[in-house]
Amino acid sequence: MYILQVIINGIMLGSVYALLGLGMSLILGIVKLTNLAHGELIILGAYCSVFLTSRLGINPFATLLITVPLMFIFGYLLQRLLINHAMKRGAEAALLVTFGVSVILKDGMLLLFTADARHISSELGSSSVNAAGMDISLLSIILSIISVGAIILLMVFLNRTYTGRAIRAAADDPRAAELSGINVAKTFSAAMGIAGAAAGIAGFCVSMKWTFYPDSGGHYLLIAFVVAVLGGLGDIRGTLAAGFIFGLIQVIGGANYGMLISYIFLIIMLVTNPKIAHAADDLSAR
Amino acid sequence: MDIGMKKNKGVIKLCVYTAIFLICLLSGFGGVLSNNLMRYLFKIFLYITLGEMWNLMSGFAGMTSLGQQAFIGLAGYSVAVMTTVYKLNFYFGIGVGAVVGVLGAALLAVLLLHIGGMYFSIATWVAAEALGTFFSGWKYVGQGAGMNITISPYPKMSELYILALILCAASLGVTYLLLRSDTGLGLTAMRDDISAAASLGVNIEKNKFIVYLTAAFFTSLAGAVFFINKGTIYPDSGFDISWTISMVFIVIIGGAGTMEGPVIGSVIYVLLYEYLAHFPGWSNIILGLISILVILFMPKGIAGFLRNFRK
Repeated sequence: MYILQVIINGIMLGSVYALLGLGMSLILGIVKLTNLAHGELIILGAYCSVFLTSRLGINPFATLLITVPLMFIFGYLLQRLLINHAMKRGAEAALLVTFGVSVILKDGMLLLFTADARHISSELGSSSVNAAGMDISLLSIILSIISVGAIILLMVFLNRTYTGRAIRAAADDPRAAELSGINVAKTFSAAMGIAGAAAGIAGFCVSMKWTFYPDSGGHYLLIAFVVAVLGGLGDIRGTLAAGFIFGLIQVIGGANYGMLISYIFLIIMLVTNPKIAHAADDLSAR
Repeated sequence: MDIGMKKNKGVIKLCVYTAIFLICLLSGFGGVLSNNLMRYLFKIFLYITLGEMWNLMSGFAGMTSLGQQAFIGLAGYSVAVMTTVYKLNFYFGIGVGAVVGVLGAALLAVLLLHIGGMYFSIATWVAAEALGTFFSGWKYVGQGAGMNITISPYPKMSELYILALILCAASLGVTYLLLRSDTGLGLTAMRDDISAAASLGVNIEKNKFIVYLTAAFFTSLAGAVFFINKGTIYPDSGFDISWTISMVFIVIIGGAGTMEGPVIGSVIYVLLYEYLAHFPGWSNIILGLISILVILFMPKGIAGFLRNFRK
């Protein structure tokens, strides 16, 4: 029974981790950019939800209807007005620009929202479902349904819609996509918008599940990166699987050792993965 | 310009730099400078050292590390353990810090150096985070609360100033010599086109190794001296990503891929940071904005701008 409990907890935690990594993976796979501001986007989404709940008294789940479009617009504009231009200066310039954005967002949120710990508390946190002799938190169940739902929605979008296909075409070969009439700059911006929206939902989960601070972004960026690399860059289904594995490691390893294990795990992944060495060559060739 | 004149010009330049160094050194010994001025110069010298090393990696060798704080933390903790636990002379602590830093770098080099491009950046950062997490859980070094660095008698500001000055001069000298050597030529070839350089017989692995270890050596030394001045170290200060943020800022503003860039960048960084202290919370936002603007509109930094201007 204990093992089953561990597995269920791991998978529920893992689905949120997968959502944390979703936007990161999309940008790594499609725009071929390491977005070092992804953690701050997640925290920005978390603050949106907290602000709307505590100041305007909106139901926490309903805040998603406002947070997600806002985060989409923020991501879109970020890419359109800033990162697209930086990418013309090379991969390294773009990386450093996202680094700058992360620093600005982090300290900006510190000024706006102070260094206090934030959290959305709801009655769901204390209620649990009893099944097969196990107590499973209702909140965790709902958050994993939201996470997995968002991931499936994105998968359908990328496979079934015109914009989704355009995004994938631009990822495979930007020049050929441009020739067949796809506006790559706009497509990349849309991809960043989606990544922002995904970060918004992830931020909502963070605010419901954990307490966070303005400088928590680095922590979530690293989780997102582990999941994205483990899942295979840009591979949505892989991201989900990677989230589950990573969640299990955390549940088994505990808070401190879990993090250390995942850092080491990530380095091993980076060292041994030939796809990554190859991707790096592609980048320097561009 | 014929070779004789070029050589003459080089000798003159060397004389000027030596003179500047000696003036700075003697004014440190002579007690001419106020403590406050020495404190500024102390910081500038150490940031020049850090900036030159990050520039050597990123600007010349194309290895953009985001994890240089690993060596600063390792060296800082080495000093803390040597002076506070073993009651040894702090110079010995600095030496141990450099050895630990270089050994750590050699170990990391085996793992990380063949990872290319932006994944190298992330891998170095994750390695530094992992070290920080490890130190937060390590009882011997006081876990998250960290350690005090107790040195008695505590070194005077002038002594630290001279230490920083010598370190800065050595790092500039080593960078200059390294770039003039075959390794340096190989490095720039590597940065511009790694496959072409490899096919022309540049030993990429060896060059990267030399650069990474040299950078780790000087970064550790600077980190050790910094923490002697600070007097206390904990995981979040030793392995803080801000160390790398400052290096990035210094090199980007000053001009990546030039020797003079980090010198200009360090002076601006230290003065700007002191000035921005009047606006609490805004300093990193403004530094970040300036960096982004420079990347977009002045990609070669101030040094590149001045070079164009002279032409």
